[in-house]
Amino acid sequence: MIKKIYLIGNPNVGKSVVFSRLTGVQVIASNYPGTTVEISKGYLQLGNEKIEVVDLPGTYSLESTSQAEEVAVSLLKEYPKTQIAVINILDSTNLERNLLLTLQLIEKGFPVVICLNMCDEAAHRGVRIDIEKLEKVLSVPVVSTCAVTGSGIKLLIERIKEAAPSLREKLPHEELWKEIGRIIEQVQHLEHRHHSIREILEDASVRPLTGLLMAAGVVYVSFKFVRFIAEGIINKITDPVFHDLYRPLLERLTLYWQEKGFWFHLLIGDLINGKIDFKQSLGVLTTAPYIEFGMVLPYVASFYFMLSLLEDIGYLPRLAILLDNILHRLGLHGYAIIPVLLGFGCNVPGILSTRVLESKRERFIASTIISIGVPCVPLQAMIFGLLGKFGGFYVGGVYLVLFSLILILGLILNRALTGYSPEFLLEIPPYRFPPLSMLGQKLYFRIKGFLIEAVPVVLIGVLAINILLYFRLFDIITGIFAPIINGIFGLPREAIVALVIGFLRKDVAVGMLIPLGLSAKQLFIAATLLAISFPCIATFIVLWKELGIRDLIKATLIMMLVSIAVGGVLNLTMAH
Amino acid sequence: MKKISLAQMKAGHKGRISEILGGSNLASRLMNMGVYKGKEVLKLSHIGLRGPVVIKSGRSILALGHSIAAKVIIEVE
Repeated sequence: MIKKIYLIGNPNVGKSVVFSRLTGVQVIASNYPGTTVEISKGYLQLGNEKIEVVDLPGTYSLESTSQAEEVAVSLLKEYPKTQIAVINILDSTNLERNLLLTLQLIEKGFPVVICLNMCDEAAHRGVRIDIEKLEKVLSVPVVSTCAVTGSGIKLLIERIKEAAPSLREKLPHEELWKEIGRIIEQVQHLEHRHHSIREILEDASVRPLTGLLMAAGVVYVSFKFVRFIAEGIINKITDPVFHDLYRPLLERLTLYWQEKGFWFHLLIGDLINGKIDFKQSLGVLTTAPYIEFGMVLPYVASFYFMLSLLEDIGYLPRLAILLDNILHRLGLHGYAIIPVLLGFGCNVPGILSTRVLESKRERFIASTIISIGVPCVPLQAMIFGLLGKFGGFYVGGVYLVLFSLILILGLILNRALTGYSPEFLLEIPPYRFPPLSMLGQKLYFRIKGFLIEAVPVVLIGVLAINILLYFRLFDIITGIFAPIINGIFGLPREAIVALVIGFLRKDVAVGMLIPLGLSAKQLFIAATLLAISFPCIATFIVLWKELGIRDLIKATLIMMLVSIAVGGVLNLTMAH
Repeated sequence: MKKISLAQMKAGHKGRISEILGGSNLASRLMNMGVYKGKEVLKLSHIGLRGPVVIKSGRSILALGHSIAAKVIIEVE
C-alpha cells in the first residue's frame, strides 16, 4: 500500500513541472537551484485513492552536505519504505551526473520509479538513451517524459505501483562513479552535433569579456522593456479606465454629497480646483486605488514578467558568476544577486530568499543592503512618475546614490563583521525556453501575492492618514522633527508626514509629497530618503523574523545613521 | 606531467583531477556534483583575477569560487 509519493532529483531537472503535472497544484518552478527549499505538497488520484505527493528540495546526493539535502533526507525517513514510492526525476541531457542520486536511492533500498525528464531536449542535443536497457541494468521501472508538454506523464502515473526495491548488489561509495561510467557506456549514445546558437550563447555568457557585454545588454534591455510595458499599460489601459470611467462615476456620487464633512474627506479627499485629482486628493476611494492600480501595479506586473523570464531561461546563475568578484568584496558571493534582484521587486521576498545564503553573516549583510539600498518596484514606479518630469538626471541620481550606498555599506560591513563568507559552488544550467503557460502561472502567483499584501495596507494606510490629518494629530510629530527635516534635509516640515507614512507603504508616501509642491532638489532628497530610511512595515516584520531582534536593532541603527548622513550631505552639496 | 590547481590552469585547457585539498566536506560536495579524483575536466573561463572558475565536467557546467578552485589539483600535460 502506497501512502506517500516523494519526488526527488538534482536541481534543475524540471522537478516542479513534473510535480504540477502530477498533482494539478500550481507551484512556482524556477530554473535556478535553491528555490524549492520550501516543500510543496499536493495530491495524486491513483485508482480510487488520493495519495499525497511531496516535492523534495533539489539534491545531488543523499549525503546531506547542504541544508536542502538534509531536509530531503529527513523527509524520506518519515514513513517506512514499504509504504512509500519514490519518483526519481532525472535530466536526460545529463544522465551521468543524475545517476549518482539514483544509485544511492537504490542502494538504500527505496522503492524507486525513474522519470527520465526533458527527453525532447536530450534528442535535440543528440543524446539517445536506451530506456529498456537502463531499466534492465537498474532493475527498476524507467519512464521517459517531457513534463513541459506532458508527454509520458500518464505512463509514469501507471507505473508508480510497480515501484519496488531494486535487487542490485551494494557497492562501496568510491565505486559509484565507476559503476555509473559503466552504465552510461551501455545505455547512452551521443551523436555529434554542431554547436547551436544556444550553446554559443551559453559559452559566451560565462566568459569574462563577452559575459560582461551580454550582462550589460540584458540589464539594459530588461530595464527598457519593463518601463516600456508598464507605461504602455498605464497609457493604454489604467489611465483611460481611471479618468474616463472611474472619475465620472465618482463625480456623479459627489453631486449628491451636500455637506463635505468628515466622510467626504475620508473617502474622496480634497478637491483640487473643484475636481477630483487622483494624485493629490488623498481619499480612500480616489488616491489609494489610483496609486496601487494606476501607478504601481503596471510596473509590478512588467517587472515580475521580466524577472520570471530571466529566471526560467536560466540566465541568473550566469549573472551570479560575473558579479561574484564585486560581491565578494561586500562579504557576499555571486549567488547573493538573486535575493537582491528579488528585492528590487519587493524587499519582502528579497529578504526571505537570503535564506539561500549559507552563513548568518552573509544573511545579515544581504538583508541590510537590500532594506537600505534596494528600492522596491512600487517605490521606483512612483519615483519615475514624480521625478521623471524634472528629467532623467534626477531619476538616475537616485539610483546612483543607492548603488554607491550598497557598495560603501557592503565594504564597511565586510570589514567590521567577524566571521567569513563561504565560497560558492554552483551548477550553471543550460538555457531553456520556458513554456508560456508556466511563465503565466508564475506571474499570476507573484502578482496575486503582491495584491494580497499591498492593497489592504494601502487602504488602511490612507484611511489612517486621513483620520490623523483631519484631527490635526500630525502637528505634534511635525513640531518635534521640524529641526531635522528642515535644518538637515532642507525639506518643508510637512514632509515629515510622508516620511512617517513611508513606514506603512513607500508608494503612498511618495504620493503624499505631491501636494507639497517641492522643488526638484527637495523631491530628489525626499525620494532618496524614503528609499534608504525605515523599510515599510512588512519588510520590517520579515527582517525581525529572519534576523532576530538584536540584528534588527543593529540594522535599524545603521539605517538611521545612513539616512541622516545621506540626507544632510545631499542637501549641503546639491545646487538648487 | 605537472600538477597545478584549477585556479592556475589556463582557460581552454583540459586536465585530470589528481587531488582535492581541504576538508572531506568539500571533496564530497564536489564528488556529488560529478567532480572527483580521476575525472577529466575542461576549464572554460576564469572571471577576473580572483573571481570564480567555470569548468565543464561531463555534461555539466559548474562555477567554483576562487578559493575552492585553488584546492582542486589538476594533472596537465
